[in-house]
Amino acid sequence: EDDDDLDGFNAWERTYADERSWESLQEDESGLLRPIDNKAIYHAQYRRRLRTTARIQKGLIRYLYIVIDLSRAAAEMDIRPSRMFVVARHVEAFIREFFDQNPLSQIALVTIKDGVANMLTDLGGSPESHIKALMGKLECSGESSLQNALELVHGYLNQIPSYGHREVLILYSALSTCDPGDIMETIQKCKKSKIRCSVIGLSAEMFICKHLCQETGGLYSVAMDEAHLKELILEHAPPPPAIAEYAIANLIKMGFPQRAAEASISICSCHKEAKVGAGYTCPRCKARVCELPTDCCICGLTLVSSPHLARSYHHLFPIAPFDEVSVSLTNMHNKFPKNCFGCQQSLLATGNKPGPCVSCRTCRQYFCLDCDIYIHESLHNCPGCDSIR
Amino acid sequence: MATRPVEKRVKYKTSVKDSGTPGFLRMREEMFIFIPNDPRSTTKLKVQLQTIKGQKHTKEGSNKPPWLNLSNKQGGSYIFEFENYSDLQVCRDFVGKVLAKGEDTYEKPTITSHDEQLSAAEMELRIKLLRENSELQKLHKQFVISGVLTEAEFWATRKKLLGGESNKRSKQQVGLKSGMVSDIKPSTDGRTNRVTFNLTPEVIFQIFAEKPAVRQAFLNFVPNKMSEKDFWTKYFRAEYLHSTKNAVAAAAEAAEDEELAVFLKPDDILASEARRKIRRVDPTLDMDADLGDDYTHVADHGIFRYEIKEATEELNDLYRRTLSQDLNRHAAVVLEGRAVDIDSEDTRTVAEALARAKQVSRANVEIDGGENQERLDRISRMTEMEDLQAPRDPPLAALCIKDPRDYFDSQQANHAEAYESLKEIISLVKAKGLSNPILKSDVAFKVFNGLTHNISSAKYHLGKNPQESVLDRLPNSTKEELLHHWTSIQELLKHFWSSYPITATHLQIKVGRLKDAMSDIYPQLEALKESVQSELRHHVSLLVRPMQQALEAAFQHYDADLQRRSSKVGERPNGYYV
Repeated sequence: EDDDDLDGFNAWERTYADERSWESLQEDESGLLRPIDNKAIYHAQYRRRLRTTARIQKGLIRYLYIVIDLSRAAAEMDIRPSRMFVVARHVEAFIREFFDQNPLSQIALVTIKDGVANMLTDLGGSPESHIKALMGKLECSGESSLQNALELVHGYLNQIPSYGHREVLILYSALSTCDPGDIMETIQKCKKSKIRCSVIGLSAEMFICKHLCQETGGLYSVAMDEAHLKELILEHAPPPPAIAEYAIANLIKMGFPQRAAEASISICSCHKEAKVGAGYTCPRCKARVCELPTDCCICGLTLVSSPHLARSYHHLFPIAPFDEVSVSLTNMHNKFPKNCFGCQQSLLATGNKPGPCVSCRTCRQYFCLDCDIYIHESLHNCPGCDSIR
Repeated sequence: MATRPVEKRVKYKTSVKDSGTPGFLRMREEMFIFIPNDPRSTTKLKVQLQTIKGQKHTKEGSNKPPWLNLSNKQGGSYIFEFENYSDLQVCRDFVGKVLAKGEDTYEKPTITSHDEQLSAAEMELRIKLLRENSELQKLHKQFVISGVLTEAEFWATRKKLLGGESNKRSKQQVGLKSGMVSDIKPSTDGRTNRVTFNLTPEVIFQIFAEKPAVRQAFLNFVPNKMSEKDFWTKYFRAEYLHSTKNAVAAAAEAAEDEELAVFLKPDDILASEARRKIRRVDPTLDMDADLGDDYTHVADHGIFRYEIKEATEELNDLYRRTLSQDLNRHAAVVLEGRAVDIDSEDTRTVAEALARAKQVSRANVEIDGGENQERLDRISRMTEMEDLQAPRDPPLAALCIKDPRDYFDSQQANHAEAYESLKEIISLVKAKGLSNPILKSDVAFKVFNGLTHNISSAKYHLGKNPQESVLDRLPNSTKEELLHHWTSIQELLKHFWSSYPITATHLQIKVGRLKDAMSDIYPQLEALKESVQSELRHHVSLLVRPMQQALEAAFQHYDADLQRRSSKVGERPNGYYV
């Protein structure tokens, strides 16, 4: 029963009726199509991502288990080529982004297949090993079992020290779960062990996933399409705020190894091979490790370098969001700068009218939208504020 | 290690029942000899210890006499009865040591501490691992046999190899599929009138779990009244009739066949359980209101039609089963949990096991009455409408950063000095400006040259081929020895560092033992350096240096810790100084 009024339209129909996306196409002088300006859309998305700047604790040392559902439902082809491949691709991008933003953390991969959960890789800090293991085994069959996955992860996460933040990210394609027992008990167990479970659903919202996330303090979202899925997964890369009752303050011993001299040769502890130079020596036991950050195999000390700590530290002190500049005629005459302070590109849109831009509260410099996104998400330092001193 | 020959008075027995010939047993490195007391007796023995495969002995605590049984590779055995257990022990250790030297054979590690309870399977696994991995075996021999590490400590770091983790963690069970409820569709042959159902043990288990009446019927009928095949044929006939939703036909068939009727009518056992459960139903569940919604049970889906209900329909109602009933029953079974593991293929044992489990759970439910608090919680949760509630975000932890100066030793004096000198330099720079260029060019040149020379010479010496490793250029024996030293040092250091901080006496003893072992290895490294030819000596010393540095770091730590503890102990208030 399709009405002809706009009221009767479904959401997907409305995007054609209301928004008339074909009208935003424009031709330039020679008749070629101009690329569609997505800046405003990205900027709007980015502003939605900005969180409050209240000083809250964040989990910097995270132990994250990614659970990938490889049941029959993952073979669905509503996102091409199939849900399983798309999820694997996005998980790869996520792993790299995760280690970029959380160098002190570790990831492990778990898959659900045929009603049982299997450990794909152990907790580790090197992205390559995880990605290789994931891409190597992509086949799906059988039922999906949420309880088995949670039980497996719970068993492993119970063993990690208390200063680490225990998290699980479940990428769930199925619409049901085939469990051997009462899943509510498992959820309570996870809650007691302070494990924060988040779920990203690929088909529809399920009560049990919502319940799980609510109980453990995680995030539940359902992806609408591939781009949305990517956005949802990457949302979990920056460290989440620490929940008050789970956070324990601890002093953790860490080592800052020095780089070995170029001409030195030693047998490294990770590969059992003699390597020349280019390694790090543990400050406590003097064993040689090949890359950082890692745990020393001999004495167990966490070895990091100062850039790793710095990369984690800035999550605690995010830059205040810039103010959007309202475009009014008066502004155009009062010292409206022609160029963005960050990239020196012109801030004026077509026809010499001021385009959309933002300004920093502290240093009062103007930045374009791209720089705004870049400063807040990657750079974590305002160039204007830093150049005042 | 020099092994003195062992000589003991024994009685040699060819079998357990044999009374035994008294004599002397002399054990040497390569063989043992038995000489009977009586020179006329012919039972002399001279056996090469290489032929001995293993040894067994009687336990000290038992009432048996001290016997040692040496079994050889051909399957024969030599039994010696000793005068006392300490003699037995000595001989046993001797044989054990000799056997350990052999390469293919490895006897059961007889050094088991009292607190270690090892299952036979774990022992087997350990022996197998040792046999397959010669490096591991060398390490084991070097440290465990010589007493530096105990068995438990040695294997504690190798949990992964033992696979202990996966065995201890319970195997995951697969849940009951809900597909069974509606999806069991037989395959039909278009041409003939046959319908084929597939029956697997999984399916049987699920049927017995969800339909107690069927289970009871199985226990009653099979094998007395009918064979298993007939039973299942009848069951699936009933299923087929249900799936056709032809209640009239179902009633007709039930009237004819008594056993079929069992499958067709509603489940008695379930009904009685349901009656019991209804008394304890959640008051928030308004069944009356739901009844109005549930129009699938009512004829014609609730559309009011003027029709007289026939009497036969009442009867046929009994033979109607709905999907929602099946689904609810399935869900209830899943939530109860999978208490029984199907190990056997025999249907009867499965049925009996399930029946027993049911009885136990029923008894438990009757005893357990304290559910009131749970019910009150559930009521309070159900009465609120979820969508209208405020978001229940848990409170977040506020950031509080302590002044980092608290953690560092305050060196106030140095602060002031450093500040002054820095201020001076900065004012100098401000006044004069930085010289252009900042560095003197010839100084920079010299430094760069020196560095480049250093790096390139190192690379040159190591060979242009990046694949070739430094170790390969050394002669094989040196390389082997170097690697062996390296693995033993790694092992020792791992155990050494894991024992700190020292909280118990056994850790202290362990650390002492480890330190002694490390002090033994240190001079061996020096000796290695000297044993190599002069052109390779540089490389070997480069390789050996980091190992020595690691050992030195460990010694330093040990000494510092010892000093700290003794100074603490020395400050006892009662006047004693250690």
